[in-house]
Amino acid sequence: MWQWFFKLGSPKWFYELSGKWLPWLVAAMSLLLVIGITWALLFVPPDYQQGNTIRIMYIHVPFASISLAFFPLMAVAGTITLVWRMKLADMVAKTAAPLGAWFTALALISGSIWGSDIWGTWWIWDGRLTSMLLQFFLLVGVISLRSALEDTDAAAKACAVLSIVGCINVFVIKYSVDWWNTLHQPSSPIGMAGDSANGPEIWVPLVIMIVAVYLFFAVSLILSTRNEILQRERRSKWVQELLASA
Amino acid sequence: MLAALQFSSIGEFFQMGGYAFNVWTVYVLFLLFFFVNLYFPLIRKKQIIRELKRRLILRNEVPANKHD
Amino acid sequence: MTEHTTTAAAFRATLARDLLIAYKRKNDIVNPFMFFLIVATLFPIGISPDPQRLGEIAAGVLWISALLAAMLSMDNLYRADYEDGSLEQLLLSPHPLYFMVLAKNISHWLVSGLPVVLASPLIAYMLNLPADAYFALFMTLLLGTPVLSLLGSIGVALTVGLGSRGLILAVITLPMSVPVLIAGTMAVQQTHNGAPLTGYLAILGAMLLVSITLAPLASAAALRISIN
Repeated sequence: MWQWFFKLGSPKWFYELSGKWLPWLVAAMSLLLVIGITWALLFVPPDYQQGNTIRIMYIHVPFASISLAFFPLMAVAGTITLVWRMKLADMVAKTAAPLGAWFTALALISGSIWGSDIWGTWWIWDGRLTSMLLQFFLLVGVISLRSALEDTDAAAKACAVLSIVGCINVFVIKYSVDWWNTLHQPSSPIGMAGDSANGPEIWVPLVIMIVAVYLFFAVSLILSTRNEILQRERRSKWVQELLASA
Repeated sequence: MLAALQFSSIGEFFQMGGYAFNVWTVYVLFLLFFFVNLYFPLIRKKQIIRELKRRLILRNEVPANKHD
Repeated sequence: MTEHTTTAAAFRATLARDLLIAYKRKNDIVNPFMFFLIVATLFPIGISPDPQRLGEIAAGVLWISALLAAMLSMDNLYRADYEDGSLEQLLLSPHPLYFMVLAKNISHWLVSGLPVVLASPLIAYMLNLPADAYFALFMTLLLGTPVLSLLGSIGVALTVGLGSRGLILAVITLPMSVPVLIAGTMAVQQTHNGAPLTGYLAILGAMLLVSITLAPLASAAALRISIN
């Protein structure tokens, strides 16, 4: 088992394996996205309260749910970087941070558009939106720390520490903002949609979209990580051979 | 399957029951983000390979030129 | 080192040294305090001198001013030691870095946080804070500002080697201090509305204990990374 773990840490092994997996991941992602989007746009019945804005849920919820995974992912990668000095973990962490900022931004934008009808305004200090915004700031902090430190090794370790601290912080922020928010209480569209999201005609397409967006995340992460591998391993023999054959 | 369609005409589909702006903004943003996010890494990969290949060629040529 | 020093002695020596330096420099004590006063003064000018409105926002104003003052004074926490090489000495010492970092954080709070806490009732009076909220404000600041110092220390330790830090320290540290800000301001608001203070103090106390145990560890790890 440990042997497998360390093999996974080898950039070459990951590059080859991910190259084999990518076509399948892309195929599954495309299929699920086409099914999910068609279903969400054409076949989901309008919500009795929110009408057709319920269709925004099929974009917003997958993005919001995956946005919550970025800090745990970066914290795990950071721990591996600090404990086992695995180069691959840091490459993943490095590509995950900007990707996470984009996913979080899209979750925020779609959330505020979704809520705009109920709230009557584009922004409200709703608990979910606020903690998402703070997570976005924390991600920007990690990205700016990475770009400020020139030495790759120091940047890897510093970002690992910041990601671990940030991960703990994201959870504390989430709870404290929820707590803060219960006293100010604006209504959330997700809560309202949740009341009516009982039938399979509502949640099956949602599950499809969630899986599709997770696959999309995996594909984007793998693509960027492969680029990072090529750049950092450019002096190694296997990259040289790869270039010669390409 | 067609019976389950929620819209009776294309026009109605685009209007989204009056929520056209909200719904279509989110879906367009998503598609934009989706393609940009797949397109840029692919472009970047081509750039990196081109750059690395050039370096490889340069490195192979430099010692040869030293004889001149 | 001919004699064997205990960790407790090293802890005391680091604390005493930092306090002495701050005392000699004076600016370290006066500047965060003045900054706090000035920022708090800007709010009535910027928002409204109306006592009613000021009273409503007073707790938030004081907390945000204290947060910014802590942030501003953070820069001296490791910078001077990094430049004159004494930080490296600290890393080389045989004692656990955790305690050395903790000593530096405590001295930082004594120098920059405590004056702010002590001055807060005066500013609160000028901002027309309701009379029943004074105790809550004072206690939450007393428990909360050390957490700000401890959390900020991580950000400073991560960026100590950077030539020009600019806003990066603020971008890293300010979002992390949100839970403290929430607990502090909510305590003041809710006790004014009649809720008991003890629950909020317990939460802030828990935050303080957790950050005392964990934050210096993170700072120490960050320092080791930055100094290599």
